[in-house]
Amino acid sequence: MISLQPQGVTPQLSPQELSLQIKSFLSGSDPQHGQKLSLRDHARCSLLLLRCLPSARHAVLEHLRSVFHDSVSSFLNERDSQDCLPQSSSSQRRGPPPSTPGLDEVTQEVQKVLEEFIKLNPRAWAPLISAWSIELMGQLSSKHANRQGMPHSTSLNELLQLWMSCGATRVLMDIYTLCLSTMIDSCPDACVDALLDTSVQHSPHFDWVVAHIGNSFPSTIISRVLSCGLKDFCAHSSTSETSEKRVPKLGSVVGILGHLSSRHGNSIRQEILRMFHESLRPGSKQQRATLPYLLQLAALSPSLLGTVCQDLVDSLKPSTLSQLQQHCSTLPRDELDNMLNLCIHLASQTSTGAPRLLRFLLDTAMPASVITTPGLAVHDSVRDACDRIVRLLLLSLQKQVYGRTGGRAASDAPPKAVPFLDAMRGHLPELCAEMLRLERKRHLWLHQLLGLLCIYSSPPCAPEALCLLLTLAHSSEELGLAVQLHAVLSSSMQGLAQAAVTRCVAQVHAGALTDKRALQLLQNMTLIVQSEESGMGREVGTALSDYLPDFGQLLLHSNPGVCEAACLLLCCCPLPSSLPPAQLHLLIRSSSFLLFHSMHIRSSAGVSSASRLLLRLCKASHAGKKAVLHQLVEGALHQGNVGLFGGDGMKDVAQKLEGASASLLENNNHLGSTVDFSGSVWSVFHAGVIGSGLKPEEKDRVIGQVECTENTQSLLSLLSSCCAKNGEEDGQLITLDPEAAKTLAVTITECACPDVTNSELSWPPEEHARTTVQRDLLIYTCFRKSPLLFLLLHLVAQGCPALCYCSVLLRGLLATLLAYWEASRESSTTDSPWHLMASCELVSCMGEGQLLPPALANMHEMFSLLAPYEVRLLLLSVWDFVRANGPFPQRFVFQASKAIFSRDFTREGDPAKYMDIVHSVLHRNVDRLGLLSGRFQV
Amino acid sequence: MMSDIRHSLLRRDALSAAKEVLYHLDIYFSSQLQNAPVPMVEKGPIELLEEFIFQIPKDRGSHSKRLTAMQELQLLEILCNYFQDQTKEPVRQVIFSSLFSPQGSKADEQRMALLGKLTSMAVAVCRLPVLECAASWLQRTPAVYCVRLAKALVGDYCGLVPGSIQTLKQIFNVSPRFCCQFITAVAALYDMSTEELIPPHDLLEMIVSWIFEDPRLILITFLNTPITANLPIGYLDFSPLMGLVRWCVIAPLAYRRKQKAAGGGPVVEEQNLYSKLHLSVLQGLMVLQTHLTEKSLYGRLALILFDQLVPLVEELGQLCEELNPLNAEQEMELALDRLAQALQVSMATGALLCTRDDLRTLCARLPHNNLMQLVVSGPVQPQPAHPSLTPAYYPHIHTPPLGYPTLPAHAALPTHAALPTHTALPTHAALPTHTAIPTHTPIPAHAALPTHTALPTHPALPAHAALPAHPALPGHPVQTFMPGMTFPFRPMR
Repeated sequence: MISLQPQGVTPQLSPQELSLQIKSFLSGSDPQHGQKLSLRDHARCSLLLLRCLPSARHAVLEHLRSVFHDSVSSFLNERDSQDCLPQSSSSQRRGPPPSTPGLDEVTQEVQKVLEEFIKLNPRAWAPLISAWSIELMGQLSSKHANRQGMPHSTSLNELLQLWMSCGATRVLMDIYTLCLSTMIDSCPDACVDALLDTSVQHSPHFDWVVAHIGNSFPSTIISRVLSCGLKDFCAHSSTSETSEKRVPKLGSVVGILGHLSSRHGNSIRQEILRMFHESLRPGSKQQRATLPYLLQLAALSPSLLGTVCQDLVDSLKPSTLSQLQQHCSTLPRDELDNMLNLCIHLASQTSTGAPRLLRFLLDTAMPASVITTPGLAVHDSVRDACDRIVRLLLLSLQKQVYGRTGGRAASDAPPKAVPFLDAMRGHLPELCAEMLRLERKRHLWLHQLLGLLCIYSSPPCAPEALCLLLTLAHSSEELGLAVQLHAVLSSSMQGLAQAAVTRCVAQVHAGALTDKRALQLLQNMTLIVQSEESGMGREVGTALSDYLPDFGQLLLHSNPGVCEAACLLLCCCPLPSSLPPAQLHLLIRSSSFLLFHSMHIRSSAGVSSASRLLLRLCKASHAGKKAVLHQLVEGALHQGNVGLFGGDGMKDVAQKLEGASASLLENNNHLGSTVDFSGSVWSVFHAGVIGSGLKPEEKDRVIGQVECTENTQSLLSLLSSCCAKNGEEDGQLITLDPEAAKTLAVTITECACPDVTNSELSWPPEEHARTTVQRDLLIYTCFRKSPLLFLLLHLVAQGCPALCYCSVLLRGLLATLLAYWEASRESSTTDSPWHLMASCELVSCMGEGQLLPPALANMHEMFSLLAPYEVRLLLLSVWDFVRANGPFPQRFVFQASKAIFSRDFTREGDPAKYMDIVHSVLHRNVDRLGLLSGRFQV
Repeated sequence: MMSDIRHSLLRRDALSAAKEVLYHLDIYFSSQLQNAPVPMVEKGPIELLEEFIFQIPKDRGSHSKRLTAMQELQLLEILCNYFQDQTKEPVRQVIFSSLFSPQGSKADEQRMALLGKLTSMAVAVCRLPVLECAASWLQRTPAVYCVRLAKALVGDYCGLVPGSIQTLKQIFNVSPRFCCQFITAVAALYDMSTEELIPPHDLLEMIVSWIFEDPRLILITFLNTPITANLPIGYLDFSPLMGLVRWCVIAPLAYRRKQKAAGGGPVVEEQNLYSKLHLSVLQGLMVLQTHLTEKSLYGRLALILFDQLVPLVEELGQLCEELNPLNAEQEMELALDRLAQALQVSMATGALLCTRDDLRTLCARLPHNNLMQLVVSGPVQPQPAHPSLTPAYYPHIHTPPLGYPTLPAHAALPTHAALPTHTALPTHAALPTHTAIPTHTPIPAHAALPTHTALPTHPALPAHAALPAHPALPGHPVQTFMPGMTFPFRPMR
């Protein structure tokens, strides 16, 4: 054999020698001696031909291919046999596996020669050799991919490690790298093209090569891969082939970029954007194809779409848009339609950039307004196009959403995801808020989108959206959107209103809403429930009735507005037929608290709404009525509240505590909005905080006469409404229901006199009063504190037999008054105004309640003109009368004609004997009282 | 018969089928040649070759089985050996042309590829028969295909493997005829219209060395071919003369343009080569004159057509305009000088047949150049010195012996060639060319017309003075001009 000069100039062979070499290369044997050439000699022979016979280069490269194949096979065999060795010899495995030395040398020789060629004439050799090496690597990786012990094609790092430890493949990789690096400045396309082609062919097994090269030349590979793909795309689109053939190359572009995107996402994004903007520049070469190409690319790779979308949208300035529009206007119609469809498809596939994309689209599609800055306004045609895109997008989303649900019924396959909607789901609040701005067109689009979104992600989304709308809507027009949305959705969803209300309640209770929002929400719900004509009102109402206790708790909210709104809502929402007692009581307690609280803060609206609610609850059931009355009376007589009705109790009760900043009452009110009181609302009303003394005084809450009267009036009218006979309208003259009046009476008694000893209805002799001094004093203080009691007694007196049940109070008060007047040394009763007033009220009250005959009852008219002891005498006669004619309900007779109970004193013996004292007092003061004598004729 | 052969071949593997088809066709054509001097190449054999050599499947269903690169190399070797072993020249020619003549079918791609490789291999292993066949092929084939062959060879030998140009260079000693055709094809390929179409250095150097060694090289094809007086359009010229003149004239400006784009330094070495080439071309023209007179073709056959000059001059004008702002006066001067010299010499030697008026209108747009001015206006002497000669054309100056002419003009030319950057003065030193021929007849074209009509061979010619060079009627490929030489293969040595 002629030995080969490894380097330097081409060996000058004579033509004859060259012919011999060709023969021996082709036959694989030495032509002179006939023996077979060794692998190594054969390879050297081929290298010689490569230098001397240019037309044989393809054949030579083909032969070298087999050399590399052999080399790799022997490497892998070595590796396998080493794996089979016992563990003890594993230390040998540390070193590189000793493959056939000849082959390794040959491959290195080949590398030397080829690299020399590449360096000398890169333009001619690099494309050829890079294609060869890449293809060879592709073949090798595919061929051995399924070999036992090979790492799986997904474990890229292991594969890379394995192949790079193999001499032959490393040589190939080095050769390719050299090609690429020499060509990188002039035209790397040739090299990258081969990479793409091979990647298409041997895709999963070949990834390690792409990864290695891509990481070594990221920017080049990215831009080149993109531009090669573009070229290919152009070539195919010009011949208008079917798109099937286009996919593989694009597919590998996508695969490679996808692989690189983890580390070099930024460069990819920049590159794609650069291509896009360049394509818009007038006169660029591949202008036409770039846009469809990029779209196609994005369609194939969601990750690419994700990386690019956001920045793309940001870079679409009005000027760019008009360029784009001009560019597109030159395209043929069907191509344009294709592009549009693709755009729509992509838009519906966008996930991370979806909100920005949407905003951009809507902004651009919005009709121009006066406010738009002239420079930033987009061209009309651009706007029209965008408008079209928005509508098409909505249409396509609609198809996807409805098609999805239809398909689910047919098969069990999981429904197809729509990334755009998935992404928008997280931006529901913004969407709602934007829609409620009611800008032209935009809110219609958004409304449609919202509807689709709700149907798409049906369980959580629709209620959330409704809840948001209910929370955010400020006007009835805005609220109308919520109703519309419900109308759209209700056909395809069941229990939507229920879910929405549940969510609203949860929102309120989680404290997720500000007071203002909560207020708005409650008002909106009220509005909706009241607008009966819509189905939504009915449904919401029914849903609300499940959450009465929750709204009841809202009555104790710290914000009066919220309380009031909740109250109104409760007023209008239908009550269930049977409200559980616990809930009922809770509501009653809360609303009565609200009533008094509103009085405290002088909110007449609150008072009226609370009154409405209480009245409503009162009418709900018998137990309700009882509870309401009880609560009202108890509340009205409570120490904290007596001031509201002209009493002065609070000033006496507690000493002021300097430095206390907050009132316990208020603290408790705050607690009330979250804590469910199990007992009476007042039961947690502490006497004070341990360590800081008694409860601090309400500070100088001076309540004027007017307010007192007003409060009193509202309370009394409420009470009387509550006690009114069923069927009687408000505003008419009210006849009290005796039962209710009795309840009222009992309650008053209980409140004013908790002590039940000797509290039977019948009166003992006057002397016995001495045994009940303490209780009587308590009763006296009670009256003293709250003048309201008299009014209450008056009210009770209206419902006739009821006042009997207050007999303890009357007796106690009368006893203390008797004692007072007995001890009084004043000359005139007018010197003790309160006692005078109390005596008058007491007697007149008893008269109204028909415990005294009219003649006796009229005596109070002259009290102010008498001396104290005279008053005592008169009162004694009252006592005597009552003791003799006990205040028992059975004395009253039901008069069917008037539907009331009344008492006929004429049948109870002669009252005249009790009139003696009256008459003698009249006589004694006849100069002043003569006028009145007619009032005391039996 | 062809179908019998086909059936017997269908079962063979690709290589042995190829071998056998050659064998069969060899026999077939040999027998045909015994019957007729010029065998008819029918469709049958060509289809056989397409199917079994170029692997184009005949049936639509079967897909083409491409040969591997290895098999292809073997096929090349088989072909090479076949042509080497076939001693009968006509058979070789017929086989070669039925193998490689473009048929306008889809096999043409493979055909050209294989031809390129075969020729390249023949160059490497010095197979004279193949090269001779290829030379004839280049003559018979439309220029577009010739250019492709040239491209393939240039690709293989100029630059791919360092130093391999030497292999190509030695062909000069093996087949000058092939060299001549190759140069013609290369000149057609690299027309210097763009930067890529400037000939590579190695190639240029090789061609210059060939021609410089023997300027007659460029005339070989012309001398060995039966002259069909009108060249079919789309084929290569008889000689590379026009192409080389173009190289020499355009080169200074083309390199300047390339410099401007690439920003490289001046390429003195290359320009020296072009000077050398220019000299050789002029010498070749001088040789041509002797041959023309020898064959009494002088004034009747133009090797440089006026029609070919028009685009050259136009391109030169454009280049001048383009490069004018770049201080390229020197290069422009040089290009115009060379053009003027080439025009003058080719007119003088009878290679170019045209009147001075034509020349004047042609060169009117070019920038001013003293030498050109002289050439266009011609000698001032009114009296024809040799009234016996046809006055419309330049007579030869001297009647030199068959060796190289030793003209005064010649003495001036090397000076010029050696000084590519010469100033105006050396150009004027070249003036003796004209002063040395004072006896020329500078007769205007119209004055020439009556005399011209008197010529016995062209009784009814139109008024164009340049046209007498095309006597044969178009569309008649009759080879009657030199009737004795039917298949003239007469290598120079």
